[in-house]
Amino acid sequence: MKFCFITFRSVTFAQSGQRSLKRVGIETILRRTPKGLEQRGCGYCLQLKGTVALDAVDQLRREGIEFSKLYWFRENGSAEEWPT
Amino acid sequence: MIYLDNGATSFPKPEPVRRAVAAAMDCCGNPGRGGYPAAMEAVRRIYDCRDAAAELFDCKPEQVVLTSSCTHGLNMAIQTLVKPGSRVVISGFEHNAVTRPLHALNAQVIVAGRRLFDPEDTLREWENALRQGAAAAVFTHVSNVFGYILPVEEMAELCRIYEVPFIVDAAQSAGSLPINFRAWSADFVAMPGHKGLLGPMGTGLLLCNRLPKPLLAGGTGSESQNQEMPDFLPDRGEPGTPNVAGAAGLAAGIRLVRRMGLSRIACREHQEAKRCAEGLKRLGFSVFSGEHQGGTVSFIPQMDCEEAAELLGKQGIAVRAGLHCAPLAHESAGTLKSGTVRVSFGPEATPEQSRAFLQAARKLL
Repeated sequence: MKFCFITFRSVTFAQSGQRSLKRVGIETILRRTPKGLEQRGCGYCLQLKGTVALDAVDQLRREGIEFSKLYWFRENGSAEEWPT
Repeated sequence: MIYLDNGATSFPKPEPVRRAVAAAMDCCGNPGRGGYPAAMEAVRRIYDCRDAAAELFDCKPEQVVLTSSCTHGLNMAIQTLVKPGSRVVISGFEHNAVTRPLHALNAQVIVAGRRLFDPEDTLREWENALRQGAAAAVFTHVSNVFGYILPVEEMAELCRIYEVPFIVDAAQSAGSLPINFRAWSADFVAMPGHKGLLGPMGTGLLLCNRLPKPLLAGGTGSESQNQEMPDFLPDRGEPGTPNVAGAAGLAAGIRLVRRMGLSRIACREHQEAKRCAEGLKRLGFSVFSGEHQGGTVSFIPQMDCEEAAELLGKQGIAVRAGLHCAPLAHESAGTLKSGTVRVSFGPEATPEQSRAFLQAARKLL
């Protein structure tokens, strides 16, 4: 697993998430959510290393920052939703 | 020109604000719509504005809805809380930005607390009105005409005690007095971006503790397949392309205010308003002043107030005369017929400004 995406309903949530994760040393990239992963239309996500994904989810929950889903990306490029 | 009309807008805009506006126009695309660098730069600047406001007013960035003015925010807040014909309690010093939306809703408006510079009376009347129940309460933090600082913390507490949702109009206080959104537990606080916060005109903020009713529906860059407006903040209140350059300027203005310090700003404004009030009294004018007063002072000249403002303008003094879009406040003070001349100081208020104004005011005698 190379990296994962945490998706958000709003770019503002994603930005608050990015700031929160940076505070605990988790670096992320803010980007548009790939169309295939976004079921409601358009959205933004944070791309981060797979090794810190669960820590990131814990941190977002601790700070009450709403996120939608966590996706893992495999070496072959396929994405898998991870239950959180 | 000696600019003493900060109650209308801050002028001239500080250099960091002008630079931030220009820079945003140079490098920003449409925020929240694309993923390319110019769009992401715009996204960053919009968030920066929310973040600066959230720090100053003690709330979350998501609770900060960007509006085009304080009036815009007040309309959104009022339309959220007030159903047609419902009972609403307001102070005796409200602006038309509050009273006209209530009139449009045919609300049963109860005016409570009409004595200037008398917080005890304000609170007594406020409680009497709230005790009978209301769909909402709306009150200004500072009168835009007289500079009266209302006892907002106590008024907010009374609203909480009587379980009346409330809106605070911070048009004249944002950027000079503390606004603690979390402690107040207001449903909404509306403010302009271009007055005490020193941002460009066409900007404003609505701090939200609940979802607002959108005045407009449209694209938000989120949940595009949903034909309802998003049910989350801030998107619900922000359809259409936002004013990115304005938000960038407003963020710079807020940071400037924080650097200057609210207490220092309030102190300077109050001192000069007091100096002016005392000088005007010595000259024999009828002056409205009191203990609980910010950086604004109103007086009645011995001639038509508009003529007086014009004469002052010819001497290079910029003040505003008339009813200041607040006939209710004038009615409360008994100045509806005469109007007043309003002198309103900004964060760079100086004794020299007051002296020059008083020198010019002598010629009104």
